Amino acid sequence: MIKIESLKLSFPGRLDFLIDELSIEEGRISAIIGPNGAGKTTLLNIIALFQKPDHGSIRIWGEDILKIRDKLNFRRKISFVFSQPYLINRTVYDNVVLPLRLRGIRGTQAVDEMLDLFKIGRLKNNTASTLSQGEKHRVSLARAFVTRPRLVLLDEPFLSLDARFKESLIDDLRRIISLNKITAIFVTQDHFEALALSDTIAVMMNGKILQMSSPEDIFTRPASREAADFVGVETIIEGLISKKEDNLCFIKVREKVLEAVSAYSEGDDVFICIRPEDVTVSKHMDTNSARNHFKAVIINIEPWRLEYKVSLDCGFNLIASVTAQSVKSLDLRAGGEVIASFKATAVHLIRRKAQDDRI
Amino acid sequence: MNSILEGFRKGITLIFGLNSEVLEILRLSLWVSIVATSIAVLIGVPLGSIIAIKKFPFKKIVIALVNTGMGLPPVVVGLFVVLFLSRNGPLGFLRWLYTPKGMVLAQVIIATPIITGLSLAAVQSVDPRFYQQILSLGATTRQSICVLVREIRLAILAAVIAGFGSIISEVGAVMMVGGNIKGQTRVLTTATVLETNMGNFDIAIALGLILLTMSFMVNLALTFIQQGRGRQR
Repeated sequence: MIKIESLKLSFPGRLDFLIDELSIEEGRISAIIGPNGAGKTTLLNIIALFQKPDHGSIRIWGEDILKIRDKLNFRRKISFVFSQPYLINRTVYDNVVLPLRLRGIRGTQAVDEMLDLFKIGRLKNNTASTLSQGEKHRVSLARAFVTRPRLVLLDEPFLSLDARFKESLIDDLRRIISLNKITAIFVTQDHFEALALSDTIAVMMNGKILQMSSPEDIFTRPASREAADFVGVETIIEGLISKKEDNLCFIKVREKVLEAVSAYSEGDDVFICIRPEDVTVSKHMDTNSARNHFKAVIINIEPWRLEYKVSLDCGFNLIASVTAQSVKSLDLRAGGEVIASFKATAVHLIRRKAQDDRI
Repeated sequence: MNSILEGFRKGITLIFGLNSEVLEILRLSLWVSIVATSIAVLIGVPLGSIIAIKKFPFKKIVIALVNTGMGLPPVVVGLFVVLFLSRNGPLGFLRWLYTPKGMVLAQVIIATPIITGLSLAAVQSVDPRFYQQILSLGATTRQSICVLVREIRLAILAAVIAGFGSIISEVGAVMMVGGNIKGQTRVLTTATVLETNMGNFDIAIALGLILLTMSFMVNLALTFIQQGRGRQR
């Protein structure tokens, strides 16, 4: 277990980097997601002993690494993959063997294994400068894993890769990490990378960890308004729980009442979070199981990823993602009237605190 | 104009009829400049790299001092080396004054700041993340400097070439420290000055041409090492 406690680092003119508590399980992949400048790379830099925090502790393998004097010995047990590959301008083999040479180990066989594992065996004798960006990333990863590290820090390792390369690399990486029971901390801004690679996700913003949970929780049950916004919850509206029956909450939003499953109680001020993929748009009142049905006017339709983002006015603003096919078959266009529906379980509530009103 | 042409003609005959005296001067010139350059490289490249890499107080002032050192007036260096090496000076016991060793010392003092300063600038031009990447691969400071220097060997060899250039062309300090003693401390530059002063332009021209040729040969060798396995970007 890696335990981080009250880690603080001040930056002049910026919000403090501050982690009260963060536990990272060993032998698993933990992603840290968050926007640019959230402090994700700073966290990795602190763990790799490149940046010194003002105070705090990081216990790894039973030792507070911020107190150790022998940085070299610690760094030799971990690997750090930067967002840029930073290869030396020699052959692929020379690059991958470098960490072993630095440790005074001969390791031709280990290098060959890594080259095969990352599918760059055929590039063994090519010079780094002749490689494509994707190949360079593979070399950089092979170089990081050749020493069989116990802990790997990955700082946006797929930043400038095209989608196809990224997918195959993520598959390989997940296999290698789980095969060798390596602990990996993986920083990214990309939700899909985080979902595809990690067992646990932490959301970081403005130098703080907002939430750490399973990927499903992070995306469907964000803990705060900011986290919800970052993980792609398009509809975030304010409401008041006006009635509660068992787990079913009735939430008043302006003139309308929404139904949601939640543990909050009557009288609570809440943020209502609805993911766009959970909203169904139809022409007629369906008899589907969804408890929430609203007549809506389409405000806007715009292409979004591989689908369309449909902005609806149903007394409150609601955003739905609709496939291109549905847009065509339902003949959706701005100004048209539709029925928007979503399940009570698809509605996630976040309790609104006084401080949230300022945002 | 005629005398210049005549000088060249005589000079070239002299070169081809290399006499032992000229050979001795050439040998000493090469020895002093190569030894001095080597020592300056051994000090300057690591020193420049460490100044570039490490964080320490007053770093900017140190860099400014090194940069000032790159323009040290050779006569001032000569003066101080003479003062230090003279019989009553602090290093007088070495008995290096008017010897090739003293000349090497003066040349090292002139070339080291040049090589340090240019190495420093070369290492500073590398992305600091590159250095961190090398460290995170498990390198000691020494190992990381080796990897780094190797990576930017073009710029480092440019520093070496500049250092060698400052030494081979230098006349003031070697004159003062060596004394231009025939057969002992006479090198190509000091001999050229002497022959010119004496009006022996043909010999001076011959020495000048030998100096140029020698400088070219050494630089050619260094350039071959630098551009070596022409795989650089």
